[in-house]
Amino acid sequence: MNIVVLAKQVPDPEAFVEIRGDGTGLEIEPKFATNLFDEFALEEALRIREKHGGKVKVVTLGGGKATEVLRTGIAMGADEALLLDDPAFFDGDGYATALALSRAIKKDPFDIVLCGKQATDDDRGEIGPMVAQFLNLPHVGGITKLEIADGKATAESPVEGNKAVVEVPLPAVFTTAKGLNEARVPLITGVMKAMKMQIPKATPSELGLSQEELGKAGSKVRIERYLPPKKRAGVRLITGDAAEAAAEAVRILVDETRVI
Amino acid sequence: MERLLIFVETKGDRPRKVSMELLSEGQKLRTQGYAVEALVMGKASEALKQEVLPCVDRLVSLTDAVLQSYTAEGYALALANHVRSINPKLILAGATQIGRDFLPRVAVMLGAGIASDATEIRWKEDPVKIIRPVHGGRALSQVSFLNYPAIITTRPNSFPLEAQAGTPGEYVEKDAAMSVEDVKAKVVKVEEVTKGKVDVTEADVIVTGGRGMKGPENFVMLEELAALLGGVVGATRSVVDAKWRDQQDQVGKSGKTVSPKLYIAVGLSGAIHHIMGMDTSKVIVAINKDEKANIFNYADYGIVGDLFEVVPAMTQDIKKRLGK
Repeated sequence: MNIVVLAKQVPDPEAFVEIRGDGTGLEIEPKFATNLFDEFALEEALRIREKHGGKVKVVTLGGGKATEVLRTGIAMGADEALLLDDPAFFDGDGYATALALSRAIKKDPFDIVLCGKQATDDDRGEIGPMVAQFLNLPHVGGITKLEIADGKATAESPVEGNKAVVEVPLPAVFTTAKGLNEARVPLITGVMKAMKMQIPKATPSELGLSQEELGKAGSKVRIERYLPPKKRAGVRLITGDAAEAAAEAVRILVDETRVI
Repeated sequence: MERLLIFVETKGDRPRKVSMELLSEGQKLRTQGYAVEALVMGKASEALKQEVLPCVDRLVSLTDAVLQSYTAEGYALALANHVRSINPKLILAGATQIGRDFLPRVAVMLGAGIASDATEIRWKEDPVKIIRPVHGGRALSQVSFLNYPAIITTRPNSFPLEAQAGTPGEYVEKDAAMSVEDVKAKVVKVEEVTKGKVDVTEADVIVTGGRGMKGPENFVMLEELAALLGGVVGATRSVVDAKWRDQQDQVGKSGKTVSPKLYIAVGLSGAIHHIMGMDTSKVIVAINKDEKANIFNYADYGIVGDLFEVVPAMTQDIKKRLGK
Protein backbone atom coordinates (compact mmCIF):
# COMPACT_ATOMS: atom_id res chain seq x y z
CA MET A 1 0.00 0.00 0.00
CA ASN A 2 1.42 3.38 -0.96
CA ILE A 3 -0.22 6.01 1.15
CA VAL A 4 0.06 9.76 0.66
CA VAL A 5 -0.88 12.10 3.49
CA LEU A 6 -1.55 15.77 2.79
CA ALA A 7 -0.78 17.74 5.91
CA LYS A 8 -0.50 21.36 6.92
CA GLN A 9 1.26 23.33 9.61
CA VAL A 10 -1.22 25.87 11.01
CA PRO A 11 -1.14 28.57 13.66
CA ASP A 12 -1.67 27.11 17.11
CA PRO A 13 -5.37 27.49 17.99
CA GLU A 14 -4.28 29.61 20.97
CA ALA A 15 -2.16 31.99 18.84
CA PHE A 16 -3.28 35.61 18.68
CA VAL A 17 -4.81 36.59 15.38
CA GLU A 18 -5.01 40.28 14.54
CA ILE A 19 -6.14 42.08 11.46
CA ARG A 20 -3.57 44.39 9.91
CA GLY A 21 -4.58 48.07 10.07
CA ASP A 22 -5.61 48.33 6.42
CA GLY A 23 -7.42 44.98 6.50
CA THR A 24 -5.21 43.48 3.79
CA GLY A 25 -3.81 40.71 5.91
CA LEU A 26 -3.57 39.01 9.26
CA GLU A 27 -0.86 39.30 11.87
CA ILE A 28 -0.59 35.92 13.53
CA GLU A 29 1.48 35.12 16.57
CA PRO A 30 4.24 32.73 15.39
CA LYS A 31 3.15 29.64 17.30
CA PHE A 32 2.48 26.63 15.14
CA ALA A 33 1.00 23.17 15.34
CA THR A 34 0.07 20.32 13.02
CA ASN A 35 -3.47 20.79 11.79
CA LEU A 36 -5.56 18.72 14.20
CA PHE A 37 -7.43 16.83 11.48
CA ASP A 38 -4.20 16.00 9.64
CA GLU A 39 -2.89 14.24 12.75
CA PHE A 40 -5.69 11.72 12.34
CA ALA A 41 -4.69 11.29 8.68
CA LEU A 42 -1.03 10.70 9.59
CA GLU A 43 -1.92 8.22 12.30
CA GLU A 44 -4.32 6.31 10.06
CA ALA A 45 -1.71 6.09 7.30
CA LEU A 46 0.80 4.57 9.73
CA ARG A 47 -1.76 2.08 11.01
CA ILE A 48 -2.61 0.98 7.46
CA ARG A 49 1.09 0.51 6.68
CA GLU A 50 1.62 -1.47 9.89
CA LYS A 51 -1.17 -3.83 8.85
CA HIS A 52 -0.70 -4.03 5.09
CA GLY A 53 2.90 -2.94 4.49
CA GLY A 54 3.96 -0.26 2.02
CA LYS A 55 5.11 3.30 2.37
CA VAL A 56 3.75 6.51 3.84
CA LYS A 57 4.64 9.81 2.18
CA VAL A 58 3.74 13.17 3.70
CA VAL A 59 3.22 16.11 1.37
CA THR A 60 2.77 19.77 2.21
CA LEU A 61 2.67 23.10 0.43
CA GLY A 62 4.04 26.27 1.98
CA GLY A 63 7.13 28.19 3.03
CA GLY A 64 8.95 28.79 6.30
CA LYS A 65 7.50 26.72 9.11
CA ALA A 66 5.36 24.65 6.72
CA THR A 67 8.10 22.04 6.50
CA GLU A 68 7.74 21.30 10.24
CA VAL A 69 4.65 19.22 9.54
CA LEU A 70 6.77 16.98 7.32
CA ARG A 71 9.26 16.48 10.15
CA THR A 72 6.40 15.69 12.50
CA GLY A 73 5.16 13.09 10.02
CA ILE A 74 8.62 11.53 9.68
CA ALA A 75 9.05 11.56 13.47
CA MET A 76 5.74 9.73 13.84
CA GLY A 77 6.98 7.10 11.40
CA ALA A 78 6.33 8.23 7.82
CA ASP A 79 8.87 7.02 5.25
CA GLU A 80 9.06 9.93 2.85
CA ALA A 81 8.25 13.60 2.59
CA LEU A 82 7.72 16.10 -0.20
CA LEU A 83 7.71 19.87 0.10
CA LEU A 84 6.18 22.32 -2.37
CA ASP A 85 7.86 25.54 -1.29
CA ASP A 86 8.24 27.51 -4.51
CA PRO A 87 6.62 30.91 -3.87
CA ALA A 88 4.54 30.37 -7.03
CA PHE A 89 2.53 27.82 -5.03
CA PHE A 90 1.64 30.27 -2.24
CA ASP A 91 -1.52 32.22 -1.44
CA GLY A 92 -3.73 30.13 -3.65
CA ASP A 93 -7.39 29.39 -3.06
CA GLY A 94 -8.60 25.82 -2.60
CA TYR A 95 -8.63 25.25 -6.36
CA ALA A 96 -5.05 26.30 -7.09
CA THR A 97 -3.73 24.57 -3.98
CA ALA A 98 -5.56 21.32 -4.71
CA LEU A 99 -4.32 21.36 -8.31
CA ALA A 100 -0.69 21.57 -7.13
CA LEU A 101 -1.17 18.88 -4.47
CA SER A 102 -2.93 16.52 -6.88
CA ARG A 103 0.04 16.76 -9.27
CA ALA A 104 2.45 16.13 -6.40
CA ILE A 105 0.47 13.02 -5.43
CA LYS A 106 0.60 11.72 -9.01
CA LYS A 107 4.40 11.85 -9.15
CA ASP A 108 4.57 8.26 -7.87
CA PRO A 109 2.09 5.38 -7.86
CA PHE A 110 -0.27 5.48 -4.87
CA ASP A 111 -3.24 3.59 -3.44
CA ILE A 112 -4.60 5.83 -0.73
CA VAL A 113 -4.65 9.58 -0.11
CA LEU A 114 -5.51 10.81 3.38
CA CYS A 115 -5.92 14.37 4.60
CA GLY A 116 -7.74 16.19 7.38
CA LYS A 117 -11.29 17.23 6.59
CA GLN A 118 -10.28 20.86 6.93
CA ALA A 119 -7.42 23.05 8.09
CA THR A 120 -8.08 25.05 11.21
CA ASP A 121 -6.68 28.29 9.75
CA ASP A 122 -8.51 28.85 6.44
CA ASP A 123 -11.37 26.57 7.50
CA ARG A 124 -12.17 25.93 3.83
CA GLY A 125 -12.38 22.15 3.92
CA GLU A 126 -12.06 22.04 0.14
CA ILE A 127 -8.72 20.35 -0.51
CA GLY A 128 -9.66 16.67 -0.01
CA PRO A 129 -12.70 16.60 -2.31
CA MET A 130 -10.96 18.84 -4.86
CA VAL A 131 -7.84 16.68 -4.97
CA ALA A 132 -10.09 13.64 -5.48
CA GLN A 133 -11.79 15.37 -8.40
CA PHE A 134 -8.50 16.49 -9.98
CA LEU A 135 -7.34 12.87 -9.74
CA ASN A 136 -10.74 11.63 -10.94
CA LEU A 137 -11.01 9.35 -7.91
CA PRO A 138 -13.78 8.64 -5.43
CA HIS A 139 -13.53 10.11 -1.96
CA VAL A 140 -15.23 9.66 1.37
CA GLY A 141 -15.34 12.73 3.58
CA GLY A 142 -15.00 13.08 7.34
CA ILE A 143 -14.34 9.41 8.00
CA THR A 144 -14.36 7.92 11.50
CA LYS A 145 -13.42 4.35 10.52
CA LEU A 146 -11.44 2.82 7.66
CA GLU A 147 -10.85 -0.82 6.74
CA ILE A 148 -8.74 -1.95 3.80
CA ALA A 149 -9.17 -5.36 2.16
CA ASP A 150 -8.88 -6.84 -1.35
CA GLY A 151 -8.11 -3.59 -3.12
CA LYS A 152 -11.15 -1.96 -1.58
CA ALA A 153 -11.75 0.32 1.35
CA THR A 154 -14.77 0.47 3.59
CA ALA A 155 -15.20 3.77 5.38
CA GLU A 156 -17.67 5.08 7.90
CA SER A 157 -18.61 8.72 7.82
CA PRO A 158 -21.21 10.48 9.90
CA VAL A 159 -23.60 12.48 7.70
CA GLU A 160 -25.99 14.84 9.48
CA GLY A 161 -26.65 12.55 12.38
CA ASN A 162 -26.64 9.35 10.33
CA LYS A 163 -23.74 6.99 9.84
CA ALA A 164 -22.98 6.04 6.25
CA VAL A 165 -20.89 2.99 5.43
CA VAL A 166 -19.29 3.45 2.02
CA GLU A 167 -17.20 1.05 -0.06
CA VAL A 168 -14.74 2.41 -2.60
CA PRO A 169 -12.24 0.74 -4.93
CA LEU A 170 -8.63 1.89 -4.50
CA PRO A 171 -7.04 4.25 -5.26
CA ALA A 172 -9.26 6.64 -3.33
CA VAL A 173 -9.13 9.76 -1.19
CA PHE A 174 -10.33 10.01 2.41
CA THR A 175 -10.68 13.06 4.61
CA THR A 176 -10.35 12.41 8.30
CA ALA A 177 -12.43 13.57 11.26
CA LYS A 178 -12.22 13.30 15.00
CA GLY A 179 -13.10 9.85 16.26
CA LEU A 180 -11.00 8.00 13.65
CA ASN A 181 -8.03 7.37 15.96
CA GLU A 182 -5.75 8.89 18.56
CA ALA A 183 -2.53 10.18 17.06
CA ARG A 184 0.66 8.70 18.49
CA VAL A 185 3.40 10.73 20.14
CA PRO A 186 6.67 10.45 18.16
CA LEU A 187 9.49 8.44 19.71
CA ILE A 188 12.80 10.18 20.30
CA THR A 189 14.45 8.03 17.60
CA GLY A 190 11.83 9.25 15.15
CA VAL A 191 12.45 12.85 16.12
CA MET A 192 16.21 12.39 15.58
CA LYS A 193 15.62 10.87 12.16
CA ALA A 194 13.26 13.70 11.22
CA MET A 195 15.73 16.37 12.29
CA LYS A 196 18.47 14.92 10.11
CA MET A 197 16.32 14.25 7.08
CA GLN A 198 16.89 16.16 3.86
CA ILE A 199 13.41 17.07 2.67
CA PRO A 200 12.92 16.63 -1.10
CA LYS A 201 11.13 19.39 -2.98
CA ALA A 202 9.17 19.65 -6.18
CA THR A 203 9.02 22.73 -8.40
CA PRO A 204 6.04 23.80 -10.51
CA SER A 205 7.75 22.71 -13.73
CA GLU A 206 8.53 19.27 -12.27
CA LEU A 207 4.79 18.94 -11.65
CA GLY A 208 4.01 20.11 -15.18
CA LEU A 209 2.43 23.32 -13.96
CA SER A 210 2.87 26.89 -15.15
CA GLN A 211 3.00 29.92 -12.85
CA GLU A 212 -0.39 31.09 -14.17
CA GLU A 213 -2.10 27.95 -12.86
CA LEU A 214 -0.73 28.30 -9.37
CA GLY A 215 -1.07 30.32 -6.19
CA LYS A 216 -2.78 33.66 -6.43
CA ALA A 217 -2.54 33.71 -10.23
CA GLY A 218 -4.35 30.40 -10.57
CA SER A 219 -7.05 31.20 -8.01
CA LYS A 220 -10.73 31.62 -8.75
CA VAL A 221 -11.46 33.36 -5.47
CA ARG A 222 -9.87 36.60 -4.34
CA ILE A 223 -9.50 37.57 -0.68
CA GLU A 224 -10.25 41.29 -0.69
CA ARG A 225 -9.78 42.10 2.95
CA TYR A 226 -10.20 40.90 6.50
CA LEU A 227 -12.80 42.22 8.90
CA PRO A 228 -13.08 41.88 12.65
CA PRO A 229 -15.76 39.53 13.94
CA LYS A 230 -18.79 41.07 15.61
CA LYS A 231 -17.85 42.01 19.16
CA ARG A 232 -20.16 41.35 22.06
CA ALA A 233 -20.92 44.20 24.42
CA GLY A 234 -19.34 42.36 27.34
CA VAL A 235 -21.01 40.07 29.78
CA ARG A 236 -23.85 41.27 31.96
CA LEU A 237 -23.58 39.35 35.20
CA ILE A 238 -26.88 38.44 36.80
CA THR A 239 -26.60 38.54 40.57
CA GLY A 240 -28.63 37.13 43.43
CA ASP A 241 -29.07 33.61 44.73
CA ALA A 242 -29.71 30.76 42.30
CA ALA A 243 -33.48 31.23 42.23
CA GLU A 244 -33.28 35.01 41.78
CA ALA A 245 -30.59 34.83 39.12
CA ALA A 246 -32.48 32.10 37.23
CA ALA A 247 -35.70 34.14 37.30
CA GLU A 248 -33.91 37.25 36.08
CA ALA A 249 -32.16 35.32 33.30
CA VAL A 250 -35.47 33.90 32.10
CA ARG A 251 -37.06 37.36 32.24
CA ILE A 252 -34.26 38.79 30.08
CA LEU A 253 -34.45 35.96 27.56
CA VAL A 254 -38.23 36.23 27.26
CA ASP A 255 -38.81 39.98 27.53
CA GLU A 256 -35.59 41.66 26.40
CA THR A 257 -33.81 39.47 23.89
CA ARG A 258 -36.99 37.61 22.93
CA VAL A 259 -35.13 34.45 22.08
CA ILE A 260 -37.55 32.27 24.06
CA MET B 1 -31.43 38.17 -16.27
CA GLU B 2 -28.95 36.62 -13.88
CA ARG B 3 -29.76 33.18 -12.66
CA LEU B 4 -29.21 31.60 -9.26
CA LEU B 5 -29.31 27.90 -8.55
CA ILE B 6 -30.09 26.71 -5.04
CA PHE B 7 -29.27 23.12 -4.14
CA VAL B 8 -32.04 21.83 -1.89
CA GLU B 9 -30.83 19.28 0.63
CA THR B 10 -33.52 17.13 2.16
CA LYS B 11 -34.15 15.59 5.53
CA GLY B 12 -36.81 12.92 5.27
CA ASP B 13 -39.20 14.31 2.64
CA ARG B 14 -38.70 17.96 3.60
CA PRO B 15 -36.06 20.54 2.72
CA ARG B 16 -33.41 21.06 5.38
CA LYS B 17 -33.65 24.26 7.34
CA VAL B 18 -30.49 25.69 5.80
CA SER B 19 -31.96 25.09 2.33
CA MET B 20 -35.08 27.04 3.36
CA GLU B 21 -32.82 29.85 4.57
CA LEU B 22 -31.29 30.03 1.09
CA LEU B 23 -34.70 29.75 -0.56
CA SER B 24 -35.89 32.70 1.58
CA GLU B 25 -32.89 34.62 0.28
CA GLY B 26 -33.76 33.49 -3.25
CA GLN B 27 -37.36 34.62 -2.91
CA LYS B 28 -36.18 38.13 -2.02
CA LEU B 29 -33.73 38.17 -4.94
CA ARG B 30 -36.47 37.19 -7.38
CA THR B 31 -37.93 40.65 -6.87
CA GLN B 32 -34.51 42.17 -7.57
CA GLY B 33 -34.03 40.87 -11.07
CA TYR B 34 -32.68 37.38 -10.48
CA ALA B 35 -34.18 34.24 -11.92
CA VAL B 36 -34.09 31.66 -9.14
CA GLU B 37 -33.96 27.93 -9.72
CA ALA B 38 -33.72 25.06 -7.27
CA LEU B 39 -32.43 21.53 -7.68
CA VAL B 40 -33.30 18.50 -5.58
CA MET B 41 -31.90 14.98 -5.85
CA GLY B 42 -34.71 12.44 -6.15
CA LYS B 43 -38.43 12.97 -6.63
CA ALA B 44 -39.77 15.91 -4.63
CA SER B 45 -42.52 15.13 -2.11
CA GLU B 46 -45.69 17.23 -2.04
CA ALA B 47 -44.54 18.75 1.26
CA LEU B 48 -41.22 19.77 -0.28
CA LYS B 49 -42.88 21.26 -3.35
CA GLN B 50 -45.19 23.30 -1.16
CA GLU B 51 -42.29 24.79 0.72
CA VAL B 52 -39.91 25.29 -2.18
CA LEU B 53 -42.04 26.32 -5.17
CA PRO B 54 -43.22 29.71 -3.78
CA CYS B 55 -39.55 30.74 -3.53
CA VAL B 56 -38.41 29.85 -7.03
CA ASP B 57 -39.19 30.16 -10.72
CA ARG B 58 -38.45 26.50 -11.24
CA LEU B 59 -37.62 23.43 -9.19
CA VAL B 60 -35.91 20.57 -10.99
CA SER B 61 -35.82 17.10 -9.51
CA LEU B 62 -33.23 14.63 -10.79
CA THR B 63 -34.75 11.17 -10.60
CA ASP B 64 -31.83 8.90 -11.51
CA ALA B 65 -31.54 5.77 -9.39
CA VAL B 66 -27.84 6.43 -8.81
CA LEU B 67 -28.75 9.60 -6.91
CA GLN B 68 -30.91 7.75 -4.39
CA SER B 69 -28.08 7.53 -1.87
CA TYR B 70 -25.65 10.34 -1.35
CA THR B 71 -22.21 9.97 -2.88
CA ALA B 72 -19.96 12.95 -3.49
CA GLU B 73 -19.16 11.77 -7.02
CA GLY B 74 -22.80 11.22 -7.99
CA TYR B 75 -24.13 14.47 -6.57
CA ALA B 76 -21.20 16.46 -7.96
CA LEU B 77 -21.55 15.13 -11.49
CA ALA B 78 -25.33 15.58 -11.50
CA LEU B 79 -25.11 19.14 -10.22
CA ALA B 80 -22.26 20.11 -12.56
CA ASN B 81 -24.16 18.76 -15.59
CA HIS B 82 -27.26 20.65 -14.53
CA VAL B 83 -25.24 23.86 -14.11
CA ARG B 84 -23.90 23.44 -17.65
CA SER B 85 -27.46 23.19 -18.94
CA ILE B 86 -28.92 26.25 -17.19
CA ASN B 87 -25.80 28.42 -16.84
CA PRO B 88 -26.42 30.15 -13.49
CA LYS B 89 -24.18 32.88 -12.16
CA LEU B 90 -24.09 31.50 -8.65
CA ILE B 91 -24.78 28.13 -7.10
CA LEU B 92 -25.86 28.19 -3.46
CA ALA B 93 -26.00 25.32 -1.00
CA GLY B 94 -25.94 24.81 2.75
CA ALA B 95 -22.53 24.31 4.34
CA THR B 96 -23.71 21.00 5.78
CA GLN B 97 -21.54 17.90 5.91
CA ILE B 98 -22.94 16.92 2.50
CA GLY B 99 -22.72 20.42 1.01
CA ARG B 100 -19.14 20.88 2.10
CA ASP B 101 -18.29 17.38 0.89
CA PHE B 102 -19.44 17.46 -2.73
CA LEU B 103 -19.45 21.10 -3.84
CA PRO B 104 -15.63 21.39 -3.93
CA ARG B 105 -15.76 18.61 -6.55
CA VAL B 106 -18.33 20.60 -8.52
CA ALA B 107 -15.98 23.59 -8.39
CA VAL B 108 -13.20 21.54 -9.98
CA MET B 109 -15.53 20.08 -12.62
CA LEU B 110 -16.67 23.55 -13.63
CA GLY B 111 -13.36 25.35 -13.08
CA ALA B 112 -15.35 27.55 -10.71
CA GLY B 113 -14.48 29.43 -7.54
CA ILE B 114 -16.02 28.36 -4.25
CA ALA B 115 -16.53 30.24 -0.98
CA SER B 116 -17.20 27.71 1.78
CA ASP B 117 -19.15 28.24 4.99
CA ALA B 118 -20.21 31.83 4.31
CA THR B 119 -22.10 33.76 6.96
CA GLU B 120 -23.06 36.77 4.82
CA ILE B 121 -23.55 37.56 1.13
CA ARG B 122 -23.53 41.20 0.00
CA TRP B 123 -25.69 40.97 -3.09
CA LYS B 124 -25.81 44.66 -3.86
CA GLU B 125 -22.07 44.99 -4.35
CA ASP B 126 -20.43 44.31 -7.68
CA PRO B 127 -18.88 41.81 -7.72
CA VAL B 128 -20.93 40.11 -5.01
CA LYS B 129 -18.95 39.95 -1.77
CA ILE B 130 -18.98 36.95 0.50
CA ILE B 131 -18.03 37.02 4.17
CA ARG B 132 -16.67 33.85 5.74
CA PRO B 133 -15.10 33.25 9.14
CA VAL B 134 -11.48 32.05 9.24
CA HIS B 135 -9.20 30.97 12.10
CA GLY B 136 -12.18 29.62 14.02
CA GLY B 137 -14.06 32.93 13.76
CA ARG B 138 -11.23 35.13 15.05
CA ALA B 139 -11.32 37.05 11.77
CA LEU B 140 -13.71 37.35 8.85
CA SER B 141 -12.50 37.12 5.29
CA GLN B 142 -14.24 39.10 2.56
CA VAL B 143 -13.92 37.33 -0.76
CA SER B 144 -15.19 37.73 -4.30
CA PHE B 145 -15.05 35.65 -7.45
CA LEU B 146 -12.89 36.33 -10.48
CA ASN B 147 -15.24 34.54 -12.85
CA TYR B 148 -18.63 32.83 -12.98
CA PRO B 149 -20.30 30.49 -12.38
CA ALA B 150 -19.18 30.37 -8.78
CA ILE B 151 -20.29 28.45 -5.73
CA ILE B 152 -21.19 29.54 -2.20
CA THR B 153 -22.00 27.28 0.73
CA THR B 154 -23.63 29.00 3.69
CA ARG B 155 -23.39 28.21 7.37
CA PRO B 156 -26.72 27.01 8.84
CA ASN B 157 -28.59 29.62 10.92
CA SER B 158 -26.78 32.53 9.23
CA PHE B 159 -29.62 33.72 7.00
CA PRO B 160 -33.14 34.50 8.22
CA LEU B 161 -35.96 32.06 7.57
CA GLU B 162 -38.64 34.27 6.11
CA ALA B 163 -40.08 32.65 3.02
CA GLN B 164 -43.58 33.91 2.33
CA ALA B 165 -46.54 32.77 0.32
CA GLY B 166 -46.00 33.49 -3.36
CA THR B 167 -46.83 32.36 -6.86
CA PRO B 168 -45.49 28.84 -7.11
CA GLY B 169 -42.82 28.21 -9.73
CA GLU B 170 -42.76 25.31 -12.13
CA TYR B 171 -41.84 21.76 -11.08
CA VAL B 172 -39.92 19.55 -13.49
CA GLU B 173 -38.69 16.00 -13.12
CA LYS B 174 -35.68 15.09 -15.18
CA ASP B 175 -33.53 12.06 -15.75
CA ALA B 176 -29.92 13.22 -15.67
CA ALA B 177 -28.88 10.19 -17.75
CA MET B 178 -26.33 9.12 -15.18
CA SER B 179 -25.13 5.55 -15.09
CA VAL B 180 -23.79 3.44 -12.24
CA GLU B 181 -20.32 3.62 -13.82
CA ASP B 182 -20.25 7.34 -13.05
CA VAL B 183 -20.00 6.58 -9.35
CA LYS B 184 -17.22 4.40 -8.01
CA ALA B 185 -18.22 4.70 -4.35
CA LYS B 186 -20.95 2.34 -3.18
CA VAL B 187 -23.08 3.14 -0.16
CA VAL B 188 -23.34 -0.12 1.77
CA LYS B 189 -25.77 1.18 4.37
CA VAL B 190 -26.89 4.28 6.18
CA GLU B 191 -27.64 3.86 9.85
CA GLU B 192 -29.98 6.36 11.38
CA VAL B 193 -28.15 6.98 14.60
CA THR B 194 -30.31 9.82 15.81
CA LYS B 195 -33.64 9.39 14.14
CA GLY B 196 -35.66 12.56 13.84
CA LYS B 197 -33.29 14.50 16.07
CA VAL B 198 -32.38 18.05 15.08
CA ASP B 199 -28.67 18.37 14.38
CA VAL B 200 -26.82 20.84 16.62
CA THR B 201 -25.85 22.87 13.54
CA GLU B 202 -29.50 23.56 12.75
CA ALA B 203 -30.92 23.95 16.26
CA ASP B 204 -32.34 27.33 17.35
CA VAL B 205 -31.46 26.67 20.96
CA ILE B 206 -28.51 24.69 22.30
CA VAL B 207 -27.86 23.88 25.93
CA THR B 208 -24.28 22.65 26.22
CA GLY B 209 -22.81 20.93 29.23
CA GLY B 210 -19.15 20.69 30.16
CA ARG B 211 -17.10 18.89 32.79
CA GLY B 212 -18.95 20.81 35.48
CA MET B 213 -21.91 18.48 34.87
CA LYS B 214 -19.92 15.94 36.92
CA GLY B 215 -21.31 12.87 35.14
CA PRO B 216 -23.38 11.68 32.17
CA GLU B 217 -26.46 11.08 34.32
CA ASN B 218 -26.78 14.79 35.10
CA PHE B 219 -27.35 15.70 31.44
CA VAL B 220 -31.01 14.75 31.95
CA MET B 221 -31.33 18.21 33.49
CA LEU B 222 -30.04 19.82 30.30
CA GLU B 223 -32.21 17.59 28.13
CA GLU B 224 -35.25 18.83 30.02
CA LEU B 225 -34.31 22.49 29.64
CA ALA B 226 -33.44 22.05 25.96
CA ALA B 227 -36.65 20.17 25.18
CA LEU B 228 -38.69 22.91 26.85
CA LEU B 229 -37.05 25.48 24.57
CA GLY B 230 -37.36 23.34 21.45
CA GLY B 231 -33.60 22.92 21.40
CA VAL B 232 -30.95 20.25 21.69
CA VAL B 233 -28.10 19.41 24.04
CA GLY B 234 -24.51 20.06 22.99
CA ALA B 235 -21.29 18.82 24.55
CA THR B 236 -17.72 20.00 25.00
CA ARG B 237 -14.69 18.06 23.85
CA SER B 238 -13.81 16.81 27.32
CA VAL B 239 -17.33 15.53 27.85
CA VAL B 240 -17.22 13.66 24.52
CA ASP B 241 -13.73 12.33 25.25
CA ALA B 242 -15.02 11.04 28.59
CA LYS B 243 -17.79 9.27 26.60
CA TRP B 244 -20.54 11.08 28.51
CA ARG B 245 -22.07 12.31 25.26
CA ASP B 246 -22.01 11.39 21.57
CA GLN B 247 -19.39 12.81 19.20
CA GLN B 248 -22.19 14.11 16.95
CA ASP B 249 -23.17 16.60 19.66
CA GLN B 250 -19.70 18.08 20.13
CA VAL B 251 -19.48 21.82 19.65
CA GLY B 252 -16.06 23.32 18.96
CA LYS B 253 -13.00 23.18 16.76
CA SER B 254 -12.85 19.40 16.47
CA GLY B 255 -16.64 19.08 16.55
CA LYS B 256 -19.29 21.26 14.96
CA THR B 257 -19.66 24.97 14.43
CA VAL B 258 -23.04 26.29 15.53
CA SER B 259 -24.94 29.60 15.35
CA PRO B 260 -28.18 29.17 17.30
CA LYS B 261 -30.41 32.02 18.48
CA LEU B 262 -29.73 31.04 22.07
CA TYR B 263 -26.70 29.19 23.43
CA ILE B 264 -26.69 28.26 27.09
CA ALA B 265 -23.23 27.17 28.29
CA VAL B 266 -23.48 25.17 31.47
CA GLY B 267 -20.51 24.15 33.60
CA LEU B 268 -17.97 24.66 30.85
CA SER B 269 -14.86 26.82 31.12
CA GLY B 270 -14.83 28.15 27.57
CA ALA B 271 -11.59 26.77 26.15
CA ILE B 272 -10.68 28.57 22.93
CA HIS B 273 -11.42 25.34 21.00
CA HIS B 274 -14.95 25.51 22.27
CA ILE B 275 -15.41 29.25 21.66
CA MET B 276 -14.43 28.71 18.00
CA GLY B 277 -17.45 26.49 17.56
CA MET B 278 -20.12 28.75 19.10
CA ASP B 279 -18.98 32.36 18.99
CA THR B 280 -21.44 33.27 16.23
CA SER B 281 -24.45 32.33 18.39
CA LYS B 282 -26.86 35.27 18.69
CA VAL B 283 -27.35 35.28 22.47
CA ILE B 284 -25.00 33.44 24.82
CA VAL B 285 -25.81 32.72 28.45
CA ALA B 286 -23.12 31.20 30.66
CA ILE B 287 -23.63 29.45 33.96
CA ASN B 288 -20.48 28.60 35.87
CA LYS B 289 -19.42 28.63 39.48
CA ASP B 290 -16.01 30.07 38.64
CA GLU B 291 -16.36 33.79 37.98
CA LYS B 292 -12.97 33.77 36.20
CA ALA B 293 -14.08 31.15 33.66
CA ASN B 294 -13.18 32.24 30.11
CA ILE B 295 -16.73 31.60 28.91
CA PHE B 296 -17.82 34.82 30.63
CA ASN B 297 -15.58 36.76 28.22
CA TYR B 298 -17.72 35.52 25.35
CA ALA B 299 -21.17 35.57 26.91
CA ASP B 300 -23.92 38.18 26.81
CA TYR B 301 -25.31 37.14 30.17
CA GLY B 302 -23.61 35.30 32.98
CA ILE B 303 -24.68 33.66 36.19
CA VAL B 304 -21.93 32.85 38.67
CA GLY B 305 -23.43 30.03 40.65
CA ASP B 306 -24.05 26.35 41.15
CA LEU B 307 -25.46 24.92 37.97
CA PHE B 308 -27.25 22.20 39.93
CA GLU B 309 -29.37 24.93 41.50
CA VAL B 310 -29.54 27.44 38.64
CA VAL B 311 -30.53 25.09 35.81
CA PRO B 312 -33.54 23.49 37.57
CA ALA B 313 -34.65 26.95 38.72
CA MET B 314 -34.51 28.23 35.13
CA THR B 315 -36.43 25.19 33.92
CA GLN B 316 -39.16 25.81 36.49
CA ASP B 317 -39.38 29.51 35.62
CA ILE B 318 -39.58 28.83 31.90
CA LYS B 319 -42.33 26.26 32.49
CA LYS B 320 -44.29 28.91 34.37
CA ARG B 321 -43.68 31.50 31.67
CA LEU B 322 -44.72 29.17 28.89
CA GLY B 323 -47.68 27.94 30.92
CA LYS B 324 -46.52 24.34 30.83
